Amino acid sequence: MFWKSKPLWGSKTRLKSNYDAVIIGGGLHGLATAYYLAKEHGITDVAIIEKRFIGFGGAGRNTAIVRANQRTQYNVPLYKEALDLWPVLTKELDYNLMFNNCGNLNLMHSEAAMKSARMTIATAQFHGVESHLIDAKQAKELVPALNISEDITFPIHGAMFHPPGGIVRHDAVVWGLAKGAAKHGVHIHQHTEATAIHTEGGKITGVTTSRGRIHTPRVLISAGGYSAGLIYQMLGIKLPIAVLTIQAMVTQPLKPLLDHVVSSGAYHCYANQTLKGEIATGAHMDQWPNYTTQNTAHYIKHQAEALSDWLPCLRGVKFMRIWGGLADMTPDMAPIMDGNDHIEGFYMDCGWGYFGFKSCSAVGKYMAQFMASGNCPDMLKPFNLRRYENHQLMGETAELVSYTPNN
Amino acid sequence: MNRLNQLPTLRITPSEKLSLNYRGKTVQGVAGDTVATALYANGVRVFARSLKYHRPRGLYSLDGECSNTCMDVNGVPNVRTENTLLKDGMVVKEQNVKGSADRDWLAFIDKLDWMMPAGFYYKTMHKPAAVWPVAMKQIRKAAGIGVISADYQMRGQYDEMFVKAEVTVIGGGAAGMSAALAAAESGQRVVLLESRPHLGGCFDYRVSTTAEGTPLYQRARELAKQVEQTGNIRTFKHTSMVGAYNNNLITAFQVGGATDAFTERYIEIRSDSVVVATGCIERPLIFDHNERPGVMQVGCAHRMARTYGLLPGSEAVFSVGHDLGLEAAVDLFDLGLKINCVADIREDGQNPELMLALAERKIPVLKGWVAAKAHGGKKVEKVTLSTVEGTVNRQFPCDLLVASAGLTPVTGPFILAQAKMGYDSLTGYFLPTTVPEKMFPAGRLTGVNDPAAIEASGRLAGLKAATAAGADMGNLVAAAEKAAASLPGPQRGCKLVTAPVKGRKSFICFDEDTTIKNIKQAIEMGFDVPELIKRFTSAGTGPGQGGIPGHNLPLFVAKYTASINTPVPTTVRPPLVPTFLATYAGYNHHMFKHTPLHDSQIKDGGIFRNIGVWQRARYFSDDFDCKEEILNVRNNVGILDGSTLGKFRIHGPDALKALQRVYVSDMSKLKPGRIKYSAMCNDDGCVIDDGVVVKLRENDYYLTTSSARAGQTVEWIRYHTRFDGWDFSLVNLTDAMGVINISGPNSGKVLAKVIDIDLSSEAFPFSGYQEFTLKDAIFVRAMRLGFVGELSYELHVPASYTQAVWDMLKEAGAEFGIRNFGVEAQNVLRMEKCHVILGSESEQRTNLLDLGLGFLWDRKKADAKTVGAVALRQAEKDVGRLKLVGIRMEDDNRPARDGALIVDNKVRGYVATMRKSFSTGQAVGMALVESQLADTGTRLEIFEDECNGVRLYARVVAMPFYDPKGERMKS
Amino acid sequence: MALILTCPVCGKRNGYEFRYGGEDKGPRPAEAGLTPAAWCDYVHMNKCTAGVLKEWWFHRDGCGSWFTTWRDTTKNLEVAQPEASK
Ligand SMILES: Cc1cc2nc3c(=O)[nH]c(=O)nc-3n(C[C@H](O)[C@H](O)[C@H](O)COP(=O)(O)OP(=O)(O)OC[C@H]3O[C@@H](n4cnc5c(N)ncnc54)[C@H](O)[C@@H]3O)c2cc1C
Ligand SMILES: [Zn+2]
Repeated sequence: MFWKSKPLWGSKTRLKSNYDAVIIGGGLHGLATAYYLAKEHGITDVAIIEKRFIGFGGAGRNTAIVRANQRTQYNVPLYKEALDLWPVLTKELDYNLMFNNCGNLNLMHSEAAMKSARMTIATAQFHGVESHLIDAKQAKELVPALNISEDITFPIHGAMFHPPGGIVRHDAVVWGLAKGAAKHGVHIHQHTEATAIHTEGGKITGVTTSRGRIHTPRVLISAGGYSAGLIYQMLGIKLPIAVLTIQAMVTQPLKPLLDHVVSSGAYHCYANQTLKGEIATGAHMDQWPNYTTQNTAHYIKHQAEALSDWLPCLRGVKFMRIWGGLADMTPDMAPIMDGNDHIEGFYMDCGWGYFGFKSCSAVGKYMAQFMASGNCPDMLKPFNLRRYENHQLMGETAELVSYTPNN
Repeated sequence: MNRLNQLPTLRITPSEKLSLNYRGKTVQGVAGDTVATALYANGVRVFARSLKYHRPRGLYSLDGECSNTCMDVNGVPNVRTENTLLKDGMVVKEQNVKGSADRDWLAFIDKLDWMMPAGFYYKTMHKPAAVWPVAMKQIRKAAGIGVISADYQMRGQYDEMFVKAEVTVIGGGAAGMSAALAAAESGQRVVLLESRPHLGGCFDYRVSTTAEGTPLYQRARELAKQVEQTGNIRTFKHTSMVGAYNNNLITAFQVGGATDAFTERYIEIRSDSVVVATGCIERPLIFDHNERPGVMQVGCAHRMARTYGLLPGSEAVFSVGHDLGLEAAVDLFDLGLKINCVADIREDGQNPELMLALAERKIPVLKGWVAAKAHGGKKVEKVTLSTVEGTVNRQFPCDLLVASAGLTPVTGPFILAQAKMGYDSLTGYFLPTTVPEKMFPAGRLTGVNDPAAIEASGRLAGLKAATAAGADMGNLVAAAEKAAASLPGPQRGCKLVTAPVKGRKSFICFDEDTTIKNIKQAIEMGFDVPELIKRFTSAGTGPGQGGIPGHNLPLFVAKYTASINTPVPTTVRPPLVPTFLATYAGYNHHMFKHTPLHDSQIKDGGIFRNIGVWQRARYFSDDFDCKEEILNVRNNVGILDGSTLGKFRIHGPDALKALQRVYVSDMSKLKPGRIKYSAMCNDDGCVIDDGVVVKLRENDYYLTTSSARAGQTVEWIRYHTRFDGWDFSLVNLTDAMGVINISGPNSGKVLAKVIDIDLSSEAFPFSGYQEFTLKDAIFVRAMRLGFVGELSYELHVPASYTQAVWDMLKEAGAEFGIRNFGVEAQNVLRMEKCHVILGSESEQRTNLLDLGLGFLWDRKKADAKTVGAVALRQAEKDVGRLKLVGIRMEDDNRPARDGALIVDNKVRGYVATMRKSFSTGQAVGMALVESQLADTGTRLEIFEDECNGVRLYARVVAMPFYDPKGERMKS
Repeated sequence: MALILTCPVCGKRNGYEFRYGGEDKGPRPAEAGLTPAAWCDYVHMNKCTAGVLKEWWFHRDGCGSWFTTWRDTTKNLEVAQPEASK
C-alpha cells in the first residue's frame, strides 16, 4: 500500500477554442453529466467551466443525505436510480464514495403528518422502494437518543423509515466524478468563469469565459444556485426560482450515537452522524433571496432549541461550525431539467433546492443522454419548464411554500 | 508541584483548595486553576492521545486552540480543560483511549502512518464491495472523540440576554479596555467582552514595564479598575464572542461564576459599532514531533508560571521568532527555570534590551536557529536545533521546549463580518483589507507590540467607534490619531513556515494529525487551495476550530506552490469557540396559543394536539375513533371549541372591492345580515382558504377564515390590493373572539334556553345570521351553519366572555346530554358530508374546480381582477388533473387508510380521508383522482402501504354520504 | 445574519419581523388576452438578480404594511435606491 501522488483530475490544461460541449459549473451535476457524456456517449471533447474550484458550490457544502422516498411518481424512479448508482459508481470510478446506507427516519408530529407519510410510503412501495411507517416506540428503538415524550413542542407520533437511504461522502463524489471524467478526456477548467453565452439564429454557438472564448454547439448550465441568475442574465430566460441561502452545521466529533439519518419537518431540522463522528444538522433557509451563503445567529439558536427538544442528549455537545450554501427553490419543490427547446443546443439543470446531491448520479446519466441525442429522455420529461405555465405544478410538496408571494 | 505562591500576577487563590477526581483518584487544585493547570500541578503531562496516530498530547497553548487537553468532565465530552475553570468535585476522564492516554495500547499506529497518506480513505476499503460495510463500522468506532450517552441529561441553568449597545468592544486586553474607556467618554452604552475570567489580555502576566516604568500587569489592573468604575461600560468577563453578523449583530456566551444564577448565558448584542481588540495568538512552530508533551507555546509557559504559579519545567530550550519569547525566557529564568539555549529564528531585529538581559543571565542565544526535532516518547527529553537552512545541528537536553514561530492576529470577528482578508508582508499577518462598516481594529491585532502603542490604538479605535455610532467626539479623534502615529508602528513578523524538515512527523494540525507531508501529497494530487486541502486532509476541521493550522496552512501552501507573495487565507466559521447546544438554546420557549376555553377543555378530558399555532382538543376519550362523540352529535347535541377560526372585520368605502379581489364569488350580491360561503384562490387558481363573509351593513363585513390561514389573511388581502390605493380597514379579531359551535338535532333546544330570540327556520334559517346580547352584557354574533351536517349554530363571543357563554350552554344542555366533541370527531362528521378541509382534501396544486367548488366562482367580474380567475380559466379544460371524488369501498368493513394510492399500472390518485362511517355503516371517503377516473361508478384499484400485493377496490360514488339533501342541517 | 429593513411606518426593524413578497413586477395585468406564458411570467418567473433589487416586504410582526425597498441580494442588506432606477 503505497501511492505516488499524481493529479486526480488531470493536469491543468489550456482552454481550447472549440469543444463539442461546454458545461458551466463544476458541481455535482456538471461533473456527472460530463462523466456520462464521455463514458456512455463517446462525447469526450467536453469542457467543464468552473469559476472557483470544483465542489465550491452546493457540492462541497451539502450534508450528503441520500434517499428515494420522494412524494410523486415522477420523482421516485429518478431518485431510486440515483440511490442504486452509489455502489456502481464507487466501483466504476474506483473511488470510495463511502456510501453509508444507514437508513432515514422522517419524524411525524401529528395525525395529519402520519397520513401524508402514508401516501409517500405507499408511493415508494408501489415503485419498489423500501419505506415503512413506524410508531414512536419503534423509532426510539432505532434512535435511542430520541425524545418521544409528550412534553416537547412537537411530540413525535411516528416516523417514515426508509432503510435504503443514508449518507454518502459528498467530497468523494465530486472528486471521484472529476477523476472519472478526466480519465475519459474531459477538460476541467477551474478558476474560469463563464460570462456570456452566444447564439445565432436560435442556436448555441459559443461561450465566453474569463480565459477566452469557446465555440461550441451545446451548452449546459448546471451552476447550482447560480443557474437561474445566469440563465436570465445570459439568455433572458426567466425561471420560477427563488435563490435562498440554506445553512448546516456540525458538532464536535462523538463516538457513534446516531445510526440513522433523522429529520423532522415540523422542527425544520435533521441530524445524522458523519463517519468522522460529527453530528451534521440543518436545514434552515431565510425565506427571501439571498446569495450571501452566510449563516445567521437566528438559525444556530433555533437549531439548538429544536435539537434540545427531540435529541436532548445533544445539549451536552458543542457546535463547532456552521456554514451556508445556495438553494434554488421552485414553487413545487421539483427541479427544472429542460433543453433544446427555447434555444437549440441550450440545456439547463437547476432548481434542485436541497435535493441536488441525492439526485446527481442519475441526473448526470439522463442529462448526458439528453445532450447527446437532443431528445429529452422520458425520465426527465415531467421536469420541463413549461409545466408552470400549463398549471401543472408537480406536487413534490403538498403544502404551500413561503418563499413566493403566491400563497 | 510547588506553586510560586507569592507572585503579584497570580490569578489563583493558593489558599483555597479544590479537589477533583482524576482516573478515580482525588487530587487537589486551587481556586482560579483551570482543570488542566490543576492536573499539571499534579504531574499530569499527557492529557489525551491523538485521533489518528494515537500520539500522546499535552498542554500546548492554554487558550484551547487544539484538542490536546480535551477531556470528559462530569460526563460532558470534549471539554477544553485548559480554559475550563476548576470547580470542586469535578470528575475528569481521558477520552478515546484504550488503556490510558499515557499508556495507550494503540500507540503502535503511529508507526503505520505510511499506510495512511492524505485521503487514503478514498482510495481504499471499497474493493471488493463487501469490504466496505465492515470497514465502515470500524471507522465509525475509531472516529469521534468524546462519548455522550443517548439518555444524557445536561444539567445547569441556561440564560439568554439580548443587549443593545452603541459600541461593543471585543477583547478586554489593554487595547480593548482603552477602547471601551475612550468610547465611554461619549456617554454611549459600551459593552466589553473578555473571554478569560479576568481583564488584562497580554499585559496581565507580564512584568516588563511601560515607558513610565509601571509593570504591564499593574497597568492592566489600573485599566481594569477604571473600566469597572465607568458606569456606562457593561463588562462581560469569561465571555467568548462566537458570532459576528451583518449590521454588527454580535453573539457571545458567558460562563457563569460561583455566584451567578446561570451555568452559561447566551448573549446577543445589537451594536452600532464594534471594536475588535482580540490580540494575537501564537503561530505554531512546525518541526519534527512539534506536538510532543513538553513542547508548549511562549504564552502558555509564561502564563503557567505567572498566572497559575506553576513552573512548567525544570530545564528548557526556547525556539522562538518574536520578542515575547525572549521576554518570557528572561522572566522564567528569574523565576527559577534553567534555560539551556534560546534559538531565535530571526537573524536580527531583536529588542536590544532583551538581548542584554539574556546575556546578563548567561543564557546562550542562537540567532537564525530553530528547533528541528523534539526527541523523547511521552515527554520531550532533548531537542535538535538547527540553522534555519538546516546546515548545522546541535542537540540540547530539556524537559520543556518553548516553541513559537511568531504571532498571528485573532481576526475571526472580521472574517465572520465578511471582511476581505489580505496578506500583509511586513507583519506576515492576514489582515482585513476592507474593514466592514463600523468595525474598527485595535491593539496587537494591527501588528503593534509597543505597550503605549497598544493602548493608543485602542483609544483611537474606541473614539472612532463612538463617532460612527453617532457621538460627537470633537477633535478627540484627531488628537488620538496623532498620539498613535507618534508611537512605534507595526513590527516586522517572522516569516519562517517550517523548520528544515521533510515533514513526515511535523504536524500542521494536531486535532486531525495532519502532517506537512500530507499537505504536500494533497497539493500534488491537485488540491491546491487551502479550502480544498482542508476538505481533503481534514486539517483545521477538528474541535480546535482551526486555531493551530489556521495561519500556517495558507503560508505553507503558498510556499509549496511557489506563490508565496499571495497566500490565500483560510476561512473561519462561527461559533469561533465551540458552544454547547444547551447554551444556544437558552430557555427554549414553547409557544402555542391557547383558546379562551383552553382550561375548561382540559377539565372536560380533552386530549390536546398542537395544530398550527394553537393547542386544540382533538379527542375527548381514549377512543380515537370518537364513536361516542360522533353519535352524540348525530343523535343529540355536541359542543365544540371553534375559537381558532380566523375572524376579521373589513370596512370602509372600498371594502367590497377588496373582497371582490380575493374571493372567487360575487360579494356585491350579498345582502346586509346575510352570509356567503366562499373561497380564496392563489394566482394558480389553487384554493388557499374558505370561509364565510357576513355583510353587517353597507361597507362593513365580518369574515371567517380557516384556522391555518388566520395568520396570513391580512397580509394576503393587503398584498393583492397593494397597487390600488383603496380605502378600507382590516382588523384581525381572531384572538379577540372565541367561537362556540353547538351541533346536533337538539342544538336549537339548548340555545333556546339561553336566549330569547326566535330560532325558527323562518326567523333564523340555514345560512342565516343574527346578533343578540346575552344577559344584557355579552354581544354575540350567531351563524347557522352546517359543517358537520346537523342543525348547528356558531356563536362568536368576545374572548373574555366565551367561557361564560360556554358554561351557560353546557348547563342548558345538561338535560339533553350535551357533550364536548373534538377536532377528530368534527373531521369525521364533516367527511361524511364531504365538506373539505383544505390541506386534507387538497394540496398545493388543487384548484377550485378540482375540488368541485366551481359553483362558487363568478366569472363575470373580470374587472375585479379576482385572484385565481385567470388560471382557473386557463386550466378549466385540462384533462388529467386530480379531482376530488367521493368513494365507497366494495367491502364496507375494510376502509382504506388515509393516504392509500389509487393505481392502475401507475399512480392515479390517492385517498384523502376515509372512515368507516358510524352514521351510515359504510366505508366512505374522499379521494383525489385523475379526471379520467372521476366519473361516478368508476371502479378504483387501491394500493395501500404494506399491502403485500393485495389490492382493495372502491367505486366513485355521489357526494355527500350523509343526508345528501341536507335536510338535517337546513330544516 | 442580521437583516434590518426600514418599514415606512415603524422605521428600522429586525428583518425577521417581515415577510418577503417577491420581486417587484408592477400592478396586476388586465385579464383580457393574457396568455398562459404571460400570466406565468407575472406570477412565477423571477430575474434572480445577484445584486440590487426592488422588492416587496410586509411588516408581519409590526404594523402590517406592504412596501417596496431595495436590497442587495449579494450582501443581504437594504440599500438606497440606485441612481439608475430613479
Ligand atoms: C447546506 C446545504 C445542505 C444540503 N444538503 C443536501 C442533502 O443533504 N442532500 C441533497 O441531496 N442535497 C443537499 N443540498 C443540495 C445540493 O448540495 C445541491 O442541490 C447540489 O450541490 C447542486 O449541484 P449542482 O452541481 O447543480 O450545483 P453546485 O454543486 O452548486 O455547483 C455549481 C458550480 O457552478 C459554479 N459556477 C457558478 N457560476 C459560474 C460561472 N458563471 N462560471 C463557471 N462556474 C460557475 C459554482 O462555483 C459551483 O461550483 C444541500 C445544499 C446545501 C447548501
Ligand atoms: Zn411597520
